[in-house]
Amino acid sequence: MTRWRTYADRLIVLVVILAAWQVGSYFVGPYWLSSPWAVASRFVAQIWSGELIRQSAYTIEESLIGTIVGGVPAVLLPFMLRRHPVLVAILDPFMVGGYGAPKLAFAPLFILWFGIGIESKIALVASVVFFIVYFNTLAGVRALDPRLVQMAQIAGAGERHVARHIVFPAAVPYILAGFSIAVPYAIGGAIIAELISSNRGLGYLVQTGAMNFDTTSVFAAILAATLIVHAANMLLDAAERFLLRWRPPAQVMLDVGN
Amino acid sequence: MTDVTLTTTTEAGELSRKWVIFTGRLVLALALLLAWEIGARTMGAIFFAPPLDVAMRLVELVRNGQMLTDIVATLRVSALGFVIACIAGVLLPFLLRRSPRLDAAVEPYIMASMGIPKYALAPWLILWFGIGDAPKLVVVVLMVFYIIYIATSAGIRGVDGRLIAMARIAGASERVIAREIIWKSLLPFFFTGLKVALPRAVSATIVGEFLVASEGVGHYIENARQTSDTVGVFAGIVVATVLVLVINAAVNVIERRALAWRPVEREMQV
Amino acid sequence: MTAAPLLEVKSLGKRFPTRAGREPSPWVIQDLSFAVRPGELVTIIGPSGAGKSTLLNMIAQIDTASAGEIVFDGAVVASHDARALRPGFDRKIGYVTQDDNLLPWRTTIDNVLFPIEVQGRLDGKMRAHVEMLIGAVGLAGYERYYPHELSGGMRKRAALIRTLAYDPPVILMDEPFAAVDAQTRTQLQADLLKLWELGRKTIIFVTHDITEAIALGDRTLVLSRQPTHVAAEHLIPIPRPHNVADIFAVEGFAAIYERIRAAIQ
Repeated sequence: MTRWRTYADRLIVLVVILAAWQVGSYFVGPYWLSSPWAVASRFVAQIWSGELIRQSAYTIEESLIGTIVGGVPAVLLPFMLRRHPVLVAILDPFMVGGYGAPKLAFAPLFILWFGIGIESKIALVASVVFFIVYFNTLAGVRALDPRLVQMAQIAGAGERHVARHIVFPAAVPYILAGFSIAVPYAIGGAIIAELISSNRGLGYLVQTGAMNFDTTSVFAAILAATLIVHAANMLLDAAERFLLRWRPPAQVMLDVGN
Repeated sequence: MTDVTLTTTTEAGELSRKWVIFTGRLVLALALLLAWEIGARTMGAIFFAPPLDVAMRLVELVRNGQMLTDIVATLRVSALGFVIACIAGVLLPFLLRRSPRLDAAVEPYIMASMGIPKYALAPWLILWFGIGDAPKLVVVVLMVFYIIYIATSAGIRGVDGRLIAMARIAGASERVIAREIIWKSLLPFFFTGLKVALPRAVSATIVGEFLVASEGVGHYIENARQTSDTVGVFAGIVVATVLVLVINAAVNVIERRALAWRPVEREMQV
Repeated sequence: MTAAPLLEVKSLGKRFPTRAGREPSPWVIQDLSFAVRPGELVTIIGPSGAGKSTLLNMIAQIDTASAGEIVFDGAVVASHDARALRPGFDRKIGYVTQDDNLLPWRTTIDNVLFPIEVQGRLDGKMRAHVEMLIGAVGLAGYERYYPHELSGGMRKRAALIRTLAYDPPVILMDEPFAAVDAQTRTQLQADLLKLWELGRKTIIFVTHDITEAIALGDRTLVLSRQPTHVAAEHLIPIPRPHNVADIFAVEGFAAIYERIRAAIQ
């Protein structure tokens, strides 16, 4: 029965937040805070007109391609280097440096190199995603129980088999964790690059909205971006649940910080 | 204990491995520098500032004091934002711990708001606060807050209830329990959050400076880009990277001291 | 010899909360009664899963009772309401749990001093007393070690003297020597008896080892399977002081051993 009470509590909190927002917008004026109703109706209107869909698609495209461009090598590298720990050790300080370096601070450099088109955004997203996924995948490959590998080798499995049927499934939770962590950074990175200089995308909508004192537009775009982040997370959660059906419940993955 | 000859063989093997790794890293670093130099020669100065020019620019910036001014400006905002966010991020889980009902009611909203791309708020913040430290500060606070909040919440949830029961039997008050057991238990989680959040605070400030600033490392970089000063862009990025890496290292040192009581986990050498 | 009981457990019952939509959960403990007089060393023995730890948790006031009551030092302890629980009953009841529950971030000596520190009684005399105890259980030289650097047996000993150090009149012990090797166990049993005789504390000692129950106790309570209650109570006819190492050789050991073993079936 306390479950219903929790739902009711949450509803009350939501109402309080929206009411406070509405009241706030009365006090400071619509230019500064907009209002729940205004944002909601503008959001719907922009979806209806297709504008929001177009710009969101652009941002999603950047994030997605960037994630693939950065994520795929990041997943492959630990597998390829699995049997060469010396190479991993050689690479380590460079990878740690790359992980620690503020990639988003490189945004102007990417814009300098690739222009204000989609390529610079993809490059930025890829650089952010690469290091996060690399370290998480590496942790997954390292966490492998060597006895499982021995068992497979005794049974006659070759290197490729071992990689595909033993190492990869064991590393999947870590790989997924890496992508989950990377998602908000990927989308955030795309938006930052758009904020600095772009003529398309959600970041562009935010920037032009702000320049026109059109707070409602700004919030509608931010709402769209937030929904995209949550949708991506839900997709990854579903993928994890599906791919990891065999796992006993409750394994918490923390961010693999160095 | 072990056979002497065996030890020396292993020692020799270990030593040669270390040398291979060291030389490997040296070679890689040199190769990268070489690639940088080649890139500068072939792609043109607009895209790739030559390493030597970048080095000279860095020296110049140190000499005319601008590097110091910019770094201080950036760190000022990062530090302030970080402190505010830390206090909020640590206090909130402790407060919510007192009322499980409030915690359950509020938690989904905190999680939902975490999905908001913080930088997207920057233009709106500029609207409110104008060009100055405030918009950057808010973005840094938001960025750091969630990281610390999640780390602290996870830490509090991970506290061993049996230790608390033991302390109660020994006569400890709620305040002593919070200070001695809960806080100490969650320190490792807190440091994980710290390690992630501190560099991000600095990079968030730098990115904030791209959008609005008149000083700071980020401003220098963006300014250089807009004036097609590629050498400046490279120099600024080097400063930004070194800054973040130094902070990373400092946090690691502090963590090692504060968590000296932990069993050392050896990195599995694959 | 019949002093008024220090602790009375009257028809104690415990069942865990019923999950919504399921049948009411079974009684783990039901109608369990016994009394302990001041200065006694009572051992409790029973099959695994008989809720021995749960019983001690309720006496130590870190868990609620579902039925019955506990009377301590003449006062009825309100143990049905979680909010009215007073863990340790104002430090009059010490509890050496199965897990050592040492604070991982404190050194050995700081761990042992923890209750004393918390109670504001830390001074030169207490420190000296603690150092004596550390030496008495063979931990001399390990004062500045962290728990993860100690063996399991050493951690148990540290947890033991942590409770002994602040000297509560009643001490509950939950199989404290179970995870320790036989030699160390005999030593610890002898040490415990020595310290008990010096201070004449009241000790309730849970074990699954009949020999240990006989070696240590004045009286042994045998618990039944679930729903747990006191199946039998046996006076240990062996005169004090008990020689723990050679308890088998004592006259009457075999007989009481048999009686207890039969009662456990």
